[in-house]
Amino acid sequence: MDFSPIAFYTISVITLACAVGVVMFRELIYSALSMVACFMGVAAIYILLHAELVAAAQVLIYVGAISILVIFAIMLTRHPKGDFWLFFHRQSVWALPVIVIIATLLIALVAAAGFNSVDLGQNPSDEAIAELLFNDYAFPFELVSLVLLVAMVGAILLARKERR
Amino acid sequence: MTPLQNYLALSIALFAIGAWGVLSRRNVILVVMCIELMMNSINIALVAFSNYSPSPAPGRGEVFVFFIFALAAAEAAVGLAIAIALYRLRQRLSVDELDEMKG
Repeated sequence: MDFSPIAFYTISVITLACAVGVVMFRELIYSALSMVACFMGVAAIYILLHAELVAAAQVLIYVGAISILVIFAIMLTRHPKGDFWLFFHRQSVWALPVIVIIATLLIALVAAAGFNSVDLGQNPSDEAIAELLFNDYAFPFELVSLVLLVAMVGAILLARKERR
Repeated sequence: MTPLQNYLALSIALFAIGAWGVLSRRNVILVVMCIELMMNSINIALVAFSNYSPSPAPGRGEVFVFFIFALAAAEAAVGLAIAIALYRLRQRLSVDELDEMKG
């Protein structure tokens, strides 16, 4: 028996519930923890798609690094407590129906597009990914490392205390 | 076996929730978090297409995802640094109070 549909639906429901939690929680730290759970769910989806290397990188980068960064940013700032409208714009009343309409249209589009829906298992092994990354895409790879360096310097420059 | 359309529906739903958060929440840090959610949804779509599309050279979609990971990390670092700098300047982190650039 093939358990992958059950796994897919379970993980999807958990991931989407955690994503809604990110938006709806009023305590920012709850949102951050909900975001971590959502990232873990996405990593599980990658494993279902035979992309183990991407799943490992997702856990390392999103669950490990970006979540810690977000939690540090939350701890370094003070957040007021209050009623609903302190956290939500007035425009959120309009944003939700508009977003739902756009998402429905997109899903209808995907359903009508006639993509190949048979799992070909096209995602290659980790070895093949490494081959691609360091041969065909070596130059973009180096370029991305430069972008990361610039972003690091920029982040330090922005966040450090001004000295007169 | 799960068809490709289900993965794309999950991706669209996650993207919509992220966009909803960006449009409706006031806190800058939460807006950055929701942008990360939207990037995750795009990565799901890329990995799903990479797995399901017949291709002479498979794996390109996954390589793209790695580049998006790096850029998302850079974006989060700079975005949160901006949020902390703003907090230092204004003692508040509400997006609708940041209107200095308004003409």
